[in-house]
Amino acid sequence: MYNYNNYLQNDYVRNTTPNSMMNNNQPNLYTPQEGYDKGNLFANLYQPYKNYQPPTLKSRTEKGKLFLELSRYAFAAHELNLYLDIHPDDATMLALFNDYRVRANNLMMEYEKKYGPLTVSSDDLSSSFLWEKEEWPWEGGAN
Amino acid sequence: MWAYQKRLQYPVNIKKKDLRMAKLLVTQYGGSNGELAAALRYLNQRYTMPDNKGKALLTDIGTEELAHIEMISTMVYQLMKDATLEEIEAAGLDSHYAEHNKALYPTDANGVPFTVTYFATTGDPLADISEDMAAEQKARAVYENLIDLTDDPDVIGPLLWLRQREVVHYNRFKELFDYYQEKLNPKQQMIDNKMVSDNNNNVNNFMNEVENNFNPISDFLNNFTQKM
Repeated sequence: MYNYNNYLQNDYVRNTTPNSMMNNNQPNLYTPQEGYDKGNLFANLYQPYKNYQPPTLKSRTEKGKLFLELSRYAFAAHELNLYLDIHPDDATMLALFNDYRVRANNLMMEYEKKYGPLTVSSDDLSSSFLWEKEEWPWEGGAN
Repeated sequence: MWAYQKRLQYPVNIKKKDLRMAKLLVTQYGGSNGELAAALRYLNQRYTMPDNKGKALLTDIGTEELAHIEMISTMVYQLMKDATLEEIEAAGLDSHYAEHNKALYPTDANGVPFTVTYFATTGDPLADISEDMAAEQKARAVYENLIDLTDDPDVIGPLLWLRQREVVHYNRFKELFDYYQEKLNPKQQMIDNKMVSDNNNNVNNFMNEVENNFNPISDFLNNFTQKM
């Protein structure tokens, strides 16, 4: 007998049903590192495209490593920010948001102190106006 | 107001020029489903949201879309910057060059300039948020089309990442939509839930019917193959 359950569970059907992008309401988080590589901190929402695998981001330089770490925690905090906009009473997510937010802020200060300002309000502009001297993101600066 | 951070939300380092891809990719800057339309759509709709959840989500996603404009612009810029005039002519970008040289200019993949008619504001939160859900789905589909059209991993990486952001944003808007639906229109919500459960029942009944009817046929086929 033909097993229709298998048919309904097959990937093609699952990936082409209109509901395939729907939230199953069970937040299940990736680490900031894996979430940043994937572009999605919420494992329950992750939808790959075909067989494409997102690249694993790495850096060989100290500057690049610090920048990547900052990008990961800033992204993770932003993902929880969007979640908390609609679920402001979720205490677990709020605690995690605050953890990632503080880490991102500290990494930002550390990066700016060592390698120059990322914002024009940075304390590291007091002795010389480095804002204008640093490279811009589309030219491969801080990237 | 806004504060700029001198960094991309996700790294873009394209080493190989590709004018054909630049011409196609620009649609996610200035096309109807692009990031510029998304940013302006959300930032424009947020004023008339009925409560702070809607105002916060549209502000924060709208702000993230500004960072996506910067990523797409960086990709188009890097794909074009080393091109010679001959290559620009060969790629059919001489008409772009005539008006803009190598400068960024928001158009779709056919060169049609960006227009605000790409987004609507109705003042009705359910209409506006459902437009946003559709916009995220359409942008996801366009990212998939663009990924299909290149084999450069430096281009595919950021496109996969941006595509995934559409998936997340869609789900956040869906949550907001469901919340407003329940809050503003509880009767409609009940009808929708009833329809979903009726549909599920119908599907189950149909599947049972199919299984019952197909049993004799598969028995017959099993007998038939055994006899052969």
